[in-house]
Amino acid sequence: MAPVPPRSLLPVLLSFLAVSFPFLPLPTARADPAADLVAELEALRAQSPLGVIHLDDRAVSRFLASATSPRPYSLVVFFDAAQLRSKPELHLPQLLSEFGLVSAAFATHHSSDPASLSRVFFCDIEFGESQQSFALFGVSSLPHVRHVGPAARNLKDSEQMQQSDFSRLAESMAEFVEAKTGLPVGPIERPPAISGRQMVLMAAAVLVSAPFLIRRVLLGDTFVHDRKIWMAGAVSVYFFSVSGTMHNIIRKMPLVLTDREDPSRLMFFYQGSGMQLGAEGFAIGSLYTVVGLMLALVTRGLVHVRNPTVQRALILVAMLVSFWAVKKVVYLDNWKTGYSVHAYWPNTDQHRSILSPAQRGQPLEARSCPSRTSFSKACVLDLILRQPLDGLQDDHSVAAVAGEGNDNVAGITT
Amino acid sequence: MAVAEEAKGAPSTLRNAFGNVLCFFALLLIGVLAFSIRLFSVIKYESVIHEFDPYFNYRVTQYLTKSGIYDFWNWFDDRTWYPLGRVIGGTVYPGLTLTAGSMWWLLNSLNIPLSVETVCVFTAPIFSANAAWATYLLTKEVKGTGAGLTAAALLAMVPSYISRSVAGSYDNEAVNTSSIFSEGCIRIKFLDCVHYAFSVFCLGRQFHLESCCVDIKHWVSLLCYIKCSIVCSWGGYTFIINLIPMHVLLCIVTGRYSSRLYIAYAPLVVLGTLLAALVPVVGFNAVMTSEHFASFLVFIIIHVVALVYYIRGTLSPKMFKVATTLVLTLGICCNTHCIGGFQSNKRMERAKSNTYASKYIPIIASVSEHQPPTWPSYFMDINVLAFLVPAGIIACFSPLSDASSFVVLYIVTSVYFSGVMVRLMLVLAPAACIMSGIALSEGFDVFTRSIKFQLPKLLENPSSAGDSTSESSTVQNGPKADKHLAAAKSEDITKERNSKKSKRKEKEKEKEVSEKISSKTRREKRLLALPLEASVVAIVLIVLLGSFYVIHCVWAAAEAYSAPSIVLTSYSHDGLHVFDDFREAYSWLRHNTEVDDKLGQPCLPQKSQLGTFSIPWTSNMFLLCLEVLLATLVMILTNFFGWFALEGRDGQYRIDSHATPTMLNSLMYKLSYYRFVETDGKGFDRVRRTEIGKKHFKLTHFEEVFTTHHWMVRIYKLKPPKNRIRGKLKKSKSSSKSSAANTSKTRQNPWN
Repeated sequence: MAPVPPRSLLPVLLSFLAVSFPFLPLPTARADPAADLVAELEALRAQSPLGVIHLDDRAVSRFLASATSPRPYSLVVFFDAAQLRSKPELHLPQLLSEFGLVSAAFATHHSSDPASLSRVFFCDIEFGESQQSFALFGVSSLPHVRHVGPAARNLKDSEQMQQSDFSRLAESMAEFVEAKTGLPVGPIERPPAISGRQMVLMAAAVLVSAPFLIRRVLLGDTFVHDRKIWMAGAVSVYFFSVSGTMHNIIRKMPLVLTDREDPSRLMFFYQGSGMQLGAEGFAIGSLYTVVGLMLALVTRGLVHVRNPTVQRALILVAMLVSFWAVKKVVYLDNWKTGYSVHAYWPNTDQHRSILSPAQRGQPLEARSCPSRTSFSKACVLDLILRQPLDGLQDDHSVAAVAGEGNDNVAGITT
Repeated sequence: MAVAEEAKGAPSTLRNAFGNVLCFFALLLIGVLAFSIRLFSVIKYESVIHEFDPYFNYRVTQYLTKSGIYDFWNWFDDRTWYPLGRVIGGTVYPGLTLTAGSMWWLLNSLNIPLSVETVCVFTAPIFSANAAWATYLLTKEVKGTGAGLTAAALLAMVPSYISRSVAGSYDNEAVNTSSIFSEGCIRIKFLDCVHYAFSVFCLGRQFHLESCCVDIKHWVSLLCYIKCSIVCSWGGYTFIINLIPMHVLLCIVTGRYSSRLYIAYAPLVVLGTLLAALVPVVGFNAVMTSEHFASFLVFIIIHVVALVYYIRGTLSPKMFKVATTLVLTLGICCNTHCIGGFQSNKRMERAKSNTYASKYIPIIASVSEHQPPTWPSYFMDINVLAFLVPAGIIACFSPLSDASSFVVLYIVTSVYFSGVMVRLMLVLAPAACIMSGIALSEGFDVFTRSIKFQLPKLLENPSSAGDSTSESSTVQNGPKADKHLAAAKSEDITKERNSKKSKRKEKEKEKEVSEKISSKTRREKRLLALPLEASVVAIVLIVLLGSFYVIHCVWAAAEAYSAPSIVLTSYSHDGLHVFDDFREAYSWLRHNTEVDDKLGQPCLPQKSQLGTFSIPWTSNMFLLCLEVLLATLVMILTNFFGWFALEGRDGQYRIDSHATPTMLNSLMYKLSYYRFVETDGKGFDRVRRTEIGKKHFKLTHFEEVFTTHHWMVRIYKLKPPKNRIRGKLKKSKSSSKSSAANTSKTRQNPWN
């Protein structure tokens, strides 16, 4: 065969080879090492439930490194590492199962067409047992998916899937495989969240409990009928919203940060209004909520108490708690945003607005944020590293670092 | 107190009348407050329209007043979004412009010659007064006059709403809030009124509301008008049209179904949808998109429920049970077969998952007012109301009526959505005002009652109790008067609210229940008092809290929200600086260009305000603009924020020496920083705090014709083709050092 056939010829040649292999008589197949490899790969694939072949160093050298190119098959390799599976930000287990889905989808789509089925094999390889292969591929970061085409001689030349494509999971992997091999993968079928047996069990449970439930519903005796549950629900929705929980979820904010200079100290509050930490939000949310609850307690509950002394004591407690909560929120808001409540008077120039006009309409929102779209953890850390921290731990009322607004990080330690 | 109880008949009527008059004047003052707190921008600056979007609305309104409504619907504006133009009638929510246009028309026909601009500037404050009054009506339905007045006063100055409705901000949100309110209150009002038509419906007649009952017709049409006006004014109407089905569903589930509910809801859906579909920008979306499906689903449900109630009336209880079992069995079997997922769209997805937008709609996620808020936002936007809301929620649950369940639903949904997006704080603010109004009023009620009952004992002078209340408690006279009246006579004909109620069976039942409750509380009321001195302290604290709120609101109105962004000011150590560069540039253009001269502006698309068009579309438009620009452009205009320290919104493009060559050779960069180095010799960009990357360069195809005082706007003229000879162009004294590199680069870049 010519050393490297022209690219346009390659698919034709390959498909010819692939189509012809199954129909070749057995002795010839034995004689042809490539057909042998295909048969071996198919046998390996048959052993795995999802059709993902597990490779090790020996297999890599057998099927890829030592096999003469062009090979009659291409491999799509998923690089896995057992030691990194526990890292949540890499999503390795999830990606591996998605990879399996792609493999299964490919197998079902081409089940009637063994020729094309034997042209693409899905494999995974684990770092711990096949370090040499990782070096051979030149893979140094995970997650990583590579397509080793039939013509690839040096494994480092094989095509790599873009990091950004991992976000869309199996769909983008399928697109990658389709683009590189030219074969359609077919629709990806995810297993239902609940298996059939669980379904039956649940249905049975529902059926058994239905008469009792219906009876209770008719009697108006369930917790759904309890007004207090709904009241608590409404108040808790309020609590979670005003504490900025949505912000924490969307931005994936941590509950607390560790202090950069003194790792043993934890930072609960973040200075600068564009961002907040989890614990901070819940603390303020409960301050917001507790005042209303105290007022409700006094106006709804306390009036029914007959003993004036108890009334006096409780109302005093309620007032103190409310006063403290409001004062604390005002103080913290002042500390965080730099805005202190003061009366407006036209001549007091020294109390001028800290807002620049460009922020009209979004008061105190997302000011001086380096990145508004993706506030990832990395960004948080970056911010902290960028900002000078000198002396902030002891003095909360430090003025803003020149010009940068108020995005200083400071720790309020417990 | 005994004396007061004794005084029946005439004195209590008088007292009630006095309460009503007081209430009226309080409302009037609240309206004045709501209007005047928004005038800071006019007083501090001048009577101009703020920001850039409102100018677009203003332009549309001008056209409307000049050419009339039909031309307005068919108007194709070839000047907006040049060179594509824009079909105004089909893409604009017309509520705002139509309102302002008709206000202008009305004033002019009364021979009050105001300019369109003046009307537009003051539209928002006028509507905030309306919103305050509507809040009063809604809250009154929930918890009585006192709560209504308190809530109205709170809403009149809530900072979140002020931010959208200062004089001059002529934008859709300003009008919408008041419409939402009117909708809410009229809906609940409507529940009270519709039983007039009950017989009409029950007898199975046709739905001849118009002929049967004037009252019904009035309310139905008003309701539909308001729904229509909401649809007209803002894309955010989705919130309210989903809230109402939810409330109806809640009423059905909690067993509060009644014919009143049916009549209040079904015509709303039918007529409202028809009317909404008449607005071109909504059109068939009113029936096609999934954000409207909730109302249709509930429409079906309410009919099923109505049918069930009807059948229950005709069948014996046993037969009814059999029928229920049969229908349920069949229904469940059928349902399991045909559960089809229905198409969900972006808004629904966003509602379902709070991270949806940030993942899948980058342009929405990138706008700063679409960010999820942190806790200081709540403090800034609703201030102390954030503390009071939980008390209001608890008050609404005891007792839970149709009206109060609506309000609870409103606050819960709006507070959730406000957590997802800062902008929706605007929807939360009214709900928070209602809740806090209820809470405050309840607090005042309890504490003043305690004082009132115990002070006379202390002084042994019972007669002086009633009138010695402070200003804050005058607000409370309303509900007290109501209660006293209810205590005095069961007929309560004079009571405004009840006068409209007829003596239908179920209504009476309901009333009996409520009477029972209220009489029970009344009986207990003598015991329900708190210690005198504690009450006094508590009232002082609440008043303090209230004054804190007022101070904050006035500050927010005066300082944070009143700057029109076409005129900017800044305070530095050497005093006040006014930046009026935009208008300077525009008047220069007005005097120096012809009508048909084309003007280009290189900028990055920043806002999502382009309606349904996304980033690719915008950039296509931009490229197209550039093509046209080369062919026909006379002037090019650059907004440049490098010279004075306004925090730009342009993200993180580097313009220093490490910037990409593409950036340094871009048209935007060159037009922005042309001759910039001459200002201070170094070319230091004060906003980005860096020296610019490329200081000396020449422009090949453009000639600087005008730069405003603070360098915010720069205008360049495209040279005529004959002058396109490289190298002979500049009279600028830029050093020739960079010219060699410049020429080589201009060869690659045909734009410069």
